[in-house]
Amino acid sequence: MTSTMTQAAIRFDDVTLGYGRHPAVHHLDGSIARGSLTAIVGPNGAGKSTLLKGIVGALRPLDGRIEMQRRGTAEGARVAYLPQAAELDRSFPIPVYDLVAMGLWNRRGLFGGISRADRGRIEEAIAAVGMTGFERRSIGTLSGGQMQRVLFARLLLQDASLILLDEPFTAIDAKTTRDLLDLVRRWHDEARTVIAVLHDIDLVREVFPETLLIAREPVAWGETNSVLHPENLLRARRMVEANDPFAQICARA
Amino acid sequence: MLHRRNIITLLAGTMLVGVSAAPAMAQERVSAVTTFSILGDLVSQVGGERVDVTTLVGPDGDGHVYSPSPADARRLTEADIVFKNGLLFEGWIDRLIDSSGTQAPVIAVAENIDAIPDAGHGHSHDDHGHDDHGHDHDDHGHDHDDLGHGHDDNGHGHDDHGHGHDDNGHGHDDHGHDHDDHGNDDHGHSHDDNDHGHDHDDHGHDDNGHGHDDHGHGHDDHGHAHGDDDHVHGDYDPHAWQDVGNVKVYVANIRDALIAHDPDGEELYRANAEAYIAELAALDADIHAAVAELPEGALVVTSHDAFRYFTHAYGLEFDAPVGTSTEVEATARDVARLIDTIRANDIRAVFAESLTDARLIEQIAREAGVPVAGTLYSDALSPPDGPAGTYIDMMRHNISLISEGLGS
Amino acid sequence: MFDALIGPFIQFDFMRRALFGALVLALGAGPIGVFLMLRRMSLTGDAMAHAILPGAAIGFLIAGLSLPAMTLGGLIAGIVVATLTGLVTRYTVLKEDASLAAFYLLSLALGVTIVSLRGSNVDLMHVLFGSVLALDDAALILIAGIASITLLVLAATYRGLVMECVDPIYLRSVARIGTPLHLVFLGLVVLNLVGGFQALGTLLAVGLMMLPAATARFWSADVTMMVVIAVTAGMLSGIGGLLLSYHHGLPAGPAIILVAGLFYLVSLFLGRESGLIWSLLPRRHLEA
Repeated sequence: MTSTMTQAAIRFDDVTLGYGRHPAVHHLDGSIARGSLTAIVGPNGAGKSTLLKGIVGALRPLDGRIEMQRRGTAEGARVAYLPQAAELDRSFPIPVYDLVAMGLWNRRGLFGGISRADRGRIEEAIAAVGMTGFERRSIGTLSGGQMQRVLFARLLLQDASLILLDEPFTAIDAKTTRDLLDLVRRWHDEARTVIAVLHDIDLVREVFPETLLIAREPVAWGETNSVLHPENLLRARRMVEANDPFAQICARA
Repeated sequence: MLHRRNIITLLAGTMLVGVSAAPAMAQERVSAVTTFSILGDLVSQVGGERVDVTTLVGPDGDGHVYSPSPADARRLTEADIVFKNGLLFEGWIDRLIDSSGTQAPVIAVAENIDAIPDAGHGHSHDDHGHDDHGHDHDDHGHDHDDLGHGHDDNGHGHDDHGHGHDDNGHGHDDHGHDHDDHGNDDHGHSHDDNDHGHDHDDHGHDDNGHGHDDHGHGHDDHGHAHGDDDHVHGDYDPHAWQDVGNVKVYVANIRDALIAHDPDGEELYRANAEAYIAELAALDADIHAAVAELPEGALVVTSHDAFRYFTHAYGLEFDAPVGTSTEVEATARDVARLIDTIRANDIRAVFAESLTDARLIEQIAREAGVPVAGTLYSDALSPPDGPAGTYIDMMRHNISLISEGLGS
Repeated sequence: MFDALIGPFIQFDFMRRALFGALVLALGAGPIGVFLMLRRMSLTGDAMAHAILPGAAIGFLIAGLSLPAMTLGGLIAGIVVATLTGLVTRYTVLKEDASLAAFYLLSLALGVTIVSLRGSNVDLMHVLFGSVLALDDAALILIAGIASITLLVLAATYRGLVMECVDPIYLRSVARIGTPLHLVFLGLVVLNLVGGFQALGTLLAVGLMMLPAATARFWSADVTMMVVIAVTAGMLSGIGGLLLSYHHGLPAGPAIILVAGLFYLVSLFLGRESGLIWSLLPRRHLEA
């Protein structure tokens, strides 16, 4: 992986993330190359979502450092993050159009007006996820799949160099998953770095060249087919033990 | 008449413990707790140097609404005697007394005055019609004569009260006797052990001058009084001290209660009370004279309707946007009515009231085009350096302010 | 009819002032209430109202009976409580409601203690609380200033506020302004409560914030529309309450809130959005 170090989008330096003093991600070292398309795979409770929160900055590492590579532009790397759908207030009365328009935040900020060109891009993004005609619908009336399409439209507008997706296809039908995967491929073709937490191993094999298999501690990391070796998967399943309330202070720290 | 109660009999039961808890040294001062500043002044006037007066709600404090502190409960516990106004003026005191567990006798000084029923705010104004007014006034003159006559009896309690008073005097002889029996070095405290209870009985007898039956009766009355207190919530206007005649009754009640508790000081209490009642009589006459000087149809507009006894006693009409309690909110109708009244009757000034937010009366004054002529004190004294540091100063301040504002 | 509705306001200056105060208050409190409701913070207004009272009390103890001092004291106490609540919510396991409850009670107890230690028994509620019937120039300027600030700040932060409501995690991922925005918003809540105390003379000031907002929710699914409806309902409550107080002798502040409550109850049954009557009158479903 040393060859990619210079082009790393994210570098993990002995990172431990967790809640309270209990680690959910333990001693992660390594980096994610710029422009790579990486899947994070692991059993429930393996620390996948925690890792994404750490990258976004919503969770401060208990130990170690997460370094984000500057892109060379003045504003640096822009991160787009799609959390698990449950964390959004679906009951809030806001139309689809306005939710998608939030994707413009980086360019318009708190005060900036929305130009005619912006309107065109909002409509384009809505069209790209196949939601044209739903612009004035309140988000509370959308199905789960439609909601996910709308959130992908917002990601499109964000125009980020690093895109983080937390279980984006969970409880989504095959047609919608295919449509949204097309967007993921498009981002990859545009040389954006994409990291997605996923459960569907077949889907990962099909679409994602790189995989991080994690079970609190990294189990395997690299080219997808070698990482998703049955032996590794078995090992990962064993490594997630129950939370130990009487855990000792980690000696590796 | 409804509240004609023999304070002395009421006292008797609590006296037993009160006396046993009395300090060993005869020279020890009596520690009295009063609920609000006006009452505190009155008790000081009667008690003089023999009585330490602690007031729970101090100057410029609102006795209607007060949240007592544990220190207040401690003051009650340490008190030898507690004075309250009664008529549910200080609604919070009974619970505080209960919770403090104080053994001191509790004297409601307004309990035997002729209380004015507290008709609702709106009603009271209808009652204030001009015809009624004249009538009230006549009645009042009559009352006043009575008052003059019954001076020794301290007024409103009239016969009954006088009677009680005589009894008390009578009891006093016995008491002195009793006291001698006990010897000089202390008062009821020397009884040890078994003698104690026995002597207590004697003591109760003598103090009351009524005998055992009456004593029991007094207790019953007490129980009733309590029940009534809970029952008549808001039935009577408690601001009785706005009639100087009532304050004479207050003073007599305070005197009798102090004597009952501290017989050694009787002479002083009687002398103080007599002197003070004479001052009150002069004050009473001055207020009557000042009111007579006011132009026909004079109306005092102020922020808080706490002067109905004043109206009843001196025939001067008051009007206010809010009722007798400071906790009531104004209505637009009443404010509009007041403004119309001021305009229609060519009233020259309105008055603020020390415990009530002045903003409303200022608004009324502004709109009616009259000045706010000053601040009346109704429910609390000012601090000692203020214009109303004592009860008499307060009444004189009020009437002179009114004379200045409304006089020609 | 004309006389009954317009007459009192023509005849009396204090009625005009009351009307102006109530209308301006509704203008600021309406949108604040809508956002509180949408953020499921409807009870926050009430808690904050209690939290700022001790601040006003301390202001009174320091500067005496001065409206600016007490307003400032209340504001500071409110902001401190809001800030601490926000920080605890962000950095500990405690949710907003629990941490707000903890801090407002602490503030209240502290205030009562300080007042008691000073031995003053001036009824602070009466000092801080004005009356809608006694609005002098200073009070009107205060209320109008608060409404202006509220509308300006809301207009400027509207987009962020909506985002913070609907998807706070997204907002956090694109900008670090979620927390400051939240505090600015709570500051507006406190400001409007202080203004409400002035104008309505009671803790019911929270009512002019929340009742019109809840009313509006029954008539629209659009935030902007809700704000418009809430402001309208608040203003109508002000007019109706004052007329009720004038013609029927009801205390003015509570009358205004009662009318606002009436609007709420009517909307609860008849509202276009999920009013109760629609579940009682089954309608044929649409084709698509």
